[in-house]
Amino acid sequence: MRTIFRVLALCLCVLLVAGVASAEDKKIKAGFIYVGPVGDLGWSHAHDLGRKFAESKLPWLESVFIESVPEADSARIIDRFIQEEKCDVVFTASFGYMDDTIKAGMKYPDKHFMHCSGFKQSKNVGTYFADLYQMYYLNGIMAGALTKSDKIGYVGAFPIPEVVRHIDAFALGAKATNPDAKVHVRWIYAWVGPDKAKEAAESLIAAGCDALAFTEDTPAVIEVGQEHSEKGKQIYTFGHYSPMQAYGVDSVVSGQLVDWGVMYVKILQSLYDGTWTKDDLYWLAAEDAAILGGDFDNIINPKFVADLKAAKVKTADFGEISTYDLVIKRYEQMKKGADVFEPFSGPINDNTGALKIKKGAKASKGDLLSIMYYVDNVVGSIPK
Amino acid sequence: MIPIIKITNREKITPAHQMMTLLFSIMAGLFAIGLIFLAFGVNPVFAMMKIFTGSFGSMYGIKETVTKAIPLILIGVGLAIAFRAKFWNIGAESQLLMGAIFGTWVGLNWGPHLPAPMIIPLMFLAGFIGGALWGLIPAFLKIRFSINEVISTLMMNYICAEFLTFLIVGPWKGKTKFGFPYTDDLPASAILGVIPGSRIHYVTLIVALLVVFILGVIIYKTRFGYEVRVIGENPEAARYAGIDFFRTTLIIMAISGGVAGLAGVGEVAGIHHYLSYPASISSGYGFTAIIVAWLAKLNPFFVIVAGIFFAGILVGGDAIQISLGLPAATVQIFNGTLLVFLIMGDYFLKHRITFKNNRMPHGEPDPQ
Repeated sequence: MRTIFRVLALCLCVLLVAGVASAEDKKIKAGFIYVGPVGDLGWSHAHDLGRKFAESKLPWLESVFIESVPEADSARIIDRFIQEEKCDVVFTASFGYMDDTIKAGMKYPDKHFMHCSGFKQSKNVGTYFADLYQMYYLNGIMAGALTKSDKIGYVGAFPIPEVVRHIDAFALGAKATNPDAKVHVRWIYAWVGPDKAKEAAESLIAAGCDALAFTEDTPAVIEVGQEHSEKGKQIYTFGHYSPMQAYGVDSVVSGQLVDWGVMYVKILQSLYDGTWTKDDLYWLAAEDAAILGGDFDNIINPKFVADLKAAKVKTADFGEISTYDLVIKRYEQMKKGADVFEPFSGPINDNTGALKIKKGAKASKGDLLSIMYYVDNVVGSIPK
Repeated sequence: MIPIIKITNREKITPAHQMMTLLFSIMAGLFAIGLIFLAFGVNPVFAMMKIFTGSFGSMYGIKETVTKAIPLILIGVGLAIAFRAKFWNIGAESQLLMGAIFGTWVGLNWGPHLPAPMIIPLMFLAGFIGGALWGLIPAFLKIRFSINEVISTLMMNYICAEFLTFLIVGPWKGKTKFGFPYTDDLPASAILGVIPGSRIHYVTLIVALLVVFILGVIIYKTRFGYEVRVIGENPEAARYAGIDFFRTTLIIMAISGGVAGLAGVGEVAGIHHYLSYPASISSGYGFTAIIVAWLAKLNPFFVIVAGIFFAGILVGGDAIQISLGLPAATVQIFNGTLLVFLIMGDYFLKHRITFKNNRMPHGEPDPQ
């Protein structure tokens, strides 16, 4: 009998020690689900850079990822991450994963889920998003100042609020420096569609546009701009999501960049510390999630700085200044906080003449997230 | 002394010979794939183990493998029939999508008014008709205008994918989907039940097994099955024997397209519950099923085994991606390489290759 007690006591000790030891080297395993290939130089690529950044900053973090997961397949992959890979938290980085993420939250109540760009939260499912509309506004300022034809093009992925918001912000920026400029839009119905994006860019150029912004996850539009610029017809382009200036040294003026790394570190740290909440994280320039530039080294391509400095513009708050200074000043305001300068400040009319934001009013987060109208200097109508 | 390669047709092919060729093709294919893994700096044995433990090594893996096997079996068995008649149907991908489109229409429009026992058979029927109609077009083009069916079926994949995209961004875009290009969810009565704790939509699984059985009987036990085989082996002889080439080809393609359409209904009503982009609805089942049919040696019953095998590779493909960091395209490379070796094996099975020295005078009869 005594022997049994001794053995039991010994076992208990071992268990206790093991328990303490495991508590000391607490680890978190995170799974990332991407909708596109990580080599796409767009959305999924940027998320994967963020994942790698988090892994380099957080010694207790282990992460796994899977790319090119069709939206309808996410439930299966979440199951694999939780059941087979024993992940503690799963990041689902596409809007289309929303419902499956919420369902997974119910199925695995002791795990955490973070869904990117959605609007549904639950006890253990949070949401996060880094939005770039401020950067589109700044790029619009530059496009308006540089265009010679007063026709600006935009290649859009899908007619959803996020992309419409970016088109509108870009158009509002252009209007600030060039009230005559109109924005022309082509939809390609793909997030990754370099062939379609090229066609759309060519068609915009053929229609007279000489400045192009876009939402598509490859540098296709920039390559078109570079090709024309090399042949002597200057086309101004604005990079999207990843550093793309290298693909169009004679064409890329600036662009919008994202840094998911800071966000992933914050989210994972809060899980590690036990301070995690399900509240939506909506990060902009002030949080260093949205960054201006064709790459991380240049806010504006040096090639175009002189032109932008030469173009003067009248503003209500800064008087007459150069476009270059305006971009820098607005960017500084945005970095101070989203409320310091809001691109969507009234009066704003849609392109049918209806007043959408009253004079003196600003768009709320809800307004921005559900925006489905073109502002008055965008041509055409949103496909229904 | 330069050796000459001489290729002759093999007179007789024994089942043992067939089995050996199949095994050898698979082994050689796996070896070639191993070299690709090596090029990625991954231990090939470990990677292959990971694929098969990822798909067959756990309950999770098995459940997912069965889920993926359902469309592969359905399409594979339909292709087996078409390929037997040497009708090279490369368009199962779009026959599946057409079935999904027809089935979704029925589900969305009639689902709210009919109970499940009525709406689900109607959806499958509509899906069969959709796939069959889409399959009949290239069949008609071939018999009426001698248009090569490889080209026409392949091209029709793109037409159908664009048509589906048009529907979901245009007239069928859901009111509850926030501007995203998806249709609304199917009503509850039009959604297939699943085995609890899995995504196996068992109704489609039963349909698939029934189809395999029925087509197996048709191929091996009926006059029609015999006609299919004769048309495939020797169309001229078939004509002389009074086999109606026109009618038989149309029926073959109606079946082949129709069962792919059934798979499309299963995917929408069992997994997705709404129509979305072509690539999400199908993830290339129509193409993978070509390899399935080939691996099954065009035998409807073997299609079940081959379908499960390839579903396992698809599911295990996630595992090697996650744990070894290999790119998503690895699985496609795996499948493609294996198909190339299976087809090569078939060639060597049907042809005898002899090496001999050119000492012999030209024109000397083959000693065989």
